[in-house]
Amino acid sequence: MHAIIDIANKVFNPIINLGAAPIMLIVLTLLALLFGVKFSRALEGGIRLAIALTAIGDIINMLTSAYQKPLNDFVKSTGIHLSITDVGWAPLGTITWGSPYTLFFLVIMILLNIVMLVLNKTNTLDVDIFDIWHISFTALMAMYFGANLFVATLLILYIGALKIVNSDLMKPTFNDLLDAPDENPMTTTHLNYMMNPIIMVFDKIFDKLFPWLDKYDFDSAELNKKIGFWGSHFAIGVYLGIFIGLLSKQDVQTILTLAFTGGTCLELFSLIGSWFIAAVEPLSQGISDFATKRFQGRTFNIGLDWPFIAGRAEVWAAANVLAPIMLVEALVLPGNHIMPLGSIIAMGVTPALLVVTRGKIIRMIVIGAIEMPIFLWAGTLSAPFITSVAKNVGAFPAGVGSGTQIAEATKEGPIEQFLAYLVGKASEGQIEFIIYAALALIAYGLIFWWYAKQMKKRNAEYAAAKESN
Amino acid sequence: MIKILAACGAGVNSSHQIKDALEREMGDRGYDVKCDAVMVKDITEDMISKYDIFTPIAKTDLGFTPSIPVVDAGPILYRIAAMAKPVYDKVEETIKSNGLK
Repeated sequence: MHAIIDIANKVFNPIINLGAAPIMLIVLTLLALLFGVKFSRALEGGIRLAIALTAIGDIINMLTSAYQKPLNDFVKSTGIHLSITDVGWAPLGTITWGSPYTLFFLVIMILLNIVMLVLNKTNTLDVDIFDIWHISFTALMAMYFGANLFVATLLILYIGALKIVNSDLMKPTFNDLLDAPDENPMTTTHLNYMMNPIIMVFDKIFDKLFPWLDKYDFDSAELNKKIGFWGSHFAIGVYLGIFIGLLSKQDVQTILTLAFTGGTCLELFSLIGSWFIAAVEPLSQGISDFATKRFQGRTFNIGLDWPFIAGRAEVWAAANVLAPIMLVEALVLPGNHIMPLGSIIAMGVTPALLVVTRGKIIRMIVIGAIEMPIFLWAGTLSAPFITSVAKNVGAFPAGVGSGTQIAEATKEGPIEQFLAYLVGKASEGQIEFIIYAALALIAYGLIFWWYAKQMKKRNAEYAAAKESN
Repeated sequence: MIKILAACGAGVNSSHQIKDALEREMGDRGYDVKCDAVMVKDITEDMISKYDIFTPIAKTDLGFTPSIPVVDAGPILYRIAAMAKPVYDKVEETIKSNGLK
């Protein structure tokens, strides 16, 4: 036995010592080969991932180095403790894919999808391999807070199954929103839609108490047109840099440096995000080919990334209006320590609002403002975990102060982050956390069950309307 | 060169899949195609006027009517060759019927 361990150490230790980027190059290449991808395409994906990981570390370094002192000064001069830098989704996605566990959770999710298809528990084939990182993020967070791999896997199986069921429930609404025929196979398993049950609670309250507000709905496309470039990444970076610089009482030169560094980093995060997606692309195609071959002859809904509804102007109008609201909420919300920056245009929030309200823009904005604290608290809760993973995969600058943390203000799946925290803590054996985790998991299931009933009613109405036409 | 504009939510995932697929397939069919991927919300009338074809994922409300031909490229994202083929055919037909090169 010792001999085997010695040999394993001799073989694997030199590879592990190379660091996260080379390890992921090797692991991603091998996994793609396993799913039948040609060697050159598999290797291309591996190299792209290693480059994306390296680049994202450099940009986080640039951003945190520039903002660390001003954010500390901001706390001193305002008394508002917002010291966590919001880096947006791209670094989180890249960092999460930098963990070898993500590939394990990917395989688990593929198996779950296949089992649900075989048992006819879903009609959705999930081809959005890239967004598996959201599920992996949840599992890794549970492990960070104390869960072992088995418990974290059980947690994501529970969430993952509901997520796939949700994609079937939402399908007729997507057809309605896109004005698409029944044959349109587009749906999504994206984690952001797991906020639908909470949003639906508020939507039902709206139905009862404030239905008259709907008549004030405005032309979303017209608003977006007027906002123009002010909603773009670089502009957000610039004016938030100025905002933080002014409130932290920096000199003019520092304020301008903050502004332009913010603009640069937010632009580059998106660019590098696209490298990382290109890195996973050969594996995604390999897995899709593998699954479709095995289910030949069956008609599926296809689970895509969420943006096939990004053509609905309400998604952006709500995000644009919610941005300043989020900033104000972040400043006054007790328990929040994250300063919105990279994710201030809340793409992780508004698609679910669109689906539940079916484009009623005033409801989207009001409910969005009400639910925003959940995102900010989840961002604050997850910051130590995200910072830790970033350090583990070598994407966090060594020279930055130990108190500096990164997170995302509007990370998709805030409820799932709370579940991960509770399940993690419960795994350490504290009795009160075991009770909290059990109650939270039951509540999560019950509210989803109620939501599913509402959606089935909605889908029956769609079907009846079609029949009567 | 034929310039195509693809668009999605963040301008990094779905639109890049469409961009890569169109550049590869149209290249194989003998066309010199360059495709850019952007966020839906960043598209302006001025931007779109600099392209020959617009390929959104699904029905898209830009707040104005695009001045160039629009081809729905969503089926490319299904990752099933038979479903993507009609999109490529439609793009090729658009190129031919508009005399693009």
